[in-house]
Amino acid sequence: MKVWQFSEQAYHPAFDVPGPMRVTLPQHHCHPSEAGRLINRYLDEYVLADELGYNIMINEHHAAATCMSTSCMTTLAILARQTKRARLLALGIPIGNRANPVRVAEEIAMADVISNGRLEVGLVKGAAYEVFMSNRQPVRFMDRYWEAHDLILEALSNTGDNFSWDGEFFNYRAVSLWPRPIQQPTPPIWMTASSAGSAAQQAKLGYVCATFLSGAVARSVFASYRKTYQETHGRPASDDRLGYLGLVSVATDRETAFQRAEQMKAYFTTAARLDPQFRNPAGFASVKDNVRLLKAGPNAVRPRLRDGSPLPSNPTIEQYIDAGLMFVGTPDEVFEQIGRFHAEVGGFGNLLMMGQAGTLGHAETVENLTLFSREVMPRLAEMSVDTPDVRYEAFA
Amino acid sequence: MNSEATNANSLSGPHFLQVGDVRLELLVKGEGRPLLLLHGMDGIEAMAPLVDLLAATHKVYAPSHPGFGGSDLPRSFSTVDDIAYFYLDLLDQLDLRDVLVAGFSFGGWIAAEMLVKNSGRLALAVLGAPFGIETAHRKDRRVVDIFMCDGGTVERKSQVTPAQKLDLAALPEDVLERRVRNAEATMLYGWSPYMCNPKLRHRLHRVATPTLLLWGEDDAIAPLDYGRDYAALIPQAVFEAIPNCGHRIYVDSAEAAARSINTFAQRAVAAAA
Repeated sequence: MKVWQFSEQAYHPAFDVPGPMRVTLPQHHCHPSEAGRLINRYLDEYVLADELGYNIMINEHHAAATCMSTSCMTTLAILARQTKRARLLALGIPIGNRANPVRVAEEIAMADVISNGRLEVGLVKGAAYEVFMSNRQPVRFMDRYWEAHDLILEALSNTGDNFSWDGEFFNYRAVSLWPRPIQQPTPPIWMTASSAGSAAQQAKLGYVCATFLSGAVARSVFASYRKTYQETHGRPASDDRLGYLGLVSVATDRETAFQRAEQMKAYFTTAARLDPQFRNPAGFASVKDNVRLLKAGPNAVRPRLRDGSPLPSNPTIEQYIDAGLMFVGTPDEVFEQIGRFHAEVGGFGNLLMMGQAGTLGHAETVENLTLFSREVMPRLAEMSVDTPDVRYEAFA
Repeated sequence: MNSEATNANSLSGPHFLQVGDVRLELLVKGEGRPLLLLHGMDGIEAMAPLVDLLAATHKVYAPSHPGFGGSDLPRSFSTVDDIAYFYLDLLDQLDLRDVLVAGFSFGGWIAAEMLVKNSGRLALAVLGAPFGIETAHRKDRRVVDIFMCDGGTVERKSQVTPAQKLDLAALPEDVLERRVRNAEATMLYGWSPYMCNPKLRHRLHRVATPTLLLWGEDDAIAPLDYGRDYAALIPQAVFEAIPNCGHRIYVDSAEAAARSINTFAQRAVAAAA
């Protein structure tokens, strides 16, 4: 299993401001020199992660105190030079929100050449509330997403003449990437899924499919991916096609690990602070899904505990562990928790590890990353599922 | 959107008509001069009381706009221009003449776009608190951005009549589907630039059809001065403010609106005689 260090790079001093943390939080609450200090700190932790043998994942959000990385590629452009070995994953670039897909392709190519071909690229739908900042039309969002996808891949992989593009959403006279990417035809492509339907689509394309903090839902996502992958490509999907994102707090003693997990929990409590009208703008989800959501009520989308009940609104660390959103404890306990979850969801080859989250400080993050890399990561490297079919039978 | 399940049911007899690419949900009610009634963001459901009142004196044609209610949304539709041309096609197909077009809120914007394109089949126009001209200029917003408001706030700002609290999960799926489609179509046509066509202002001088603008004095979505500016752009438009009335004129003041429409129509007939 490959492990990827990830932090949302929060501006956590703003967590004390009452009210929403996204879309409407005024920027005067951001003290720029403090923001710079924090971002440099997070970058230091990424550089350390590279030295410790992690790979690196970067995301982006907008108008949010919970995430200061407003561009995957800006952050990765720095790490492309400052790291040596890590694969560098943008997960991801919200291409349905981007006005200019060719510019996206240019930035991918530039970071790929600077890093000497270490870039991996997630092309994602992104959070619904982002349309309020991008101002892009929520209706037919995924149609625009797929046209952008086609254009970006065409641009990255083109080895013939320059081309023009006249689509439903985008028009270009001359597409020409200088530089073009080292990795051909393209850097590895990732997508994110929280449903079996999305996973199946990604399996057809052979992309890496990651699911975030979805707990038991990961099992149906991965099962769907494996099934469609087998049907489409005539061979089983290897574990490296699948990824899961969870929070990790490890310490030599259980009590310290739990104390740190409490600080990381601020990630969940602040991410949830968003006014209701921004959660699901009309058109962003399909009519069918919206009707289903309205019928099911607000509990329908909550992660589940192992007994099937919805995760309560202010869960304990134990409940987060139970739901598969956090892995917390001594190295042995964390290894055991990851192993159990890995088996329950049918296996995955990429652990997207939030080794820093919420208000967790620098010294604690360094200890967390260092201890995990020494005591847990080597044991995870060997973790795999023999064959997916056997695993499904065990849980049928 | 305050559409009630019962309202959808009281609209007896909507049927479907194929117009171009669109299977159009169309309610036809009453006898008399043809009146094309264009609903707002909350769909035809919310217009039921006004449909009944106007059907006493007119043959009311009340369609669900493409994407709303039960009407198809072809992939080629994305702007109010598309709907306006579509309704001009509908008038051709039905061969309606001397039509009174009455549109409210979002539907008023559609009516305005029809008036500047081709008024050949239109005799009179009534615009009830229409959107369509610029809703903001740089940092100054004139019309409330409903997409930035939570549902409860939109309801409170939309009408002076106390809004009914709805248990959405308890509504039947077909009613929910209509609500979801209405919200999605409102988003498609109105998201950006918000509820307006910046070109419309420069085309309104073309309106040759006698036009009445109705506006709720207590409109908390599109304020009265937005309405007066709108009226000033339309040659010889008559502006009438309705007291104790919000943005949803068809909810707050359906009877007053019907009276004004009938009076306006009678005066126009008298003037023509």
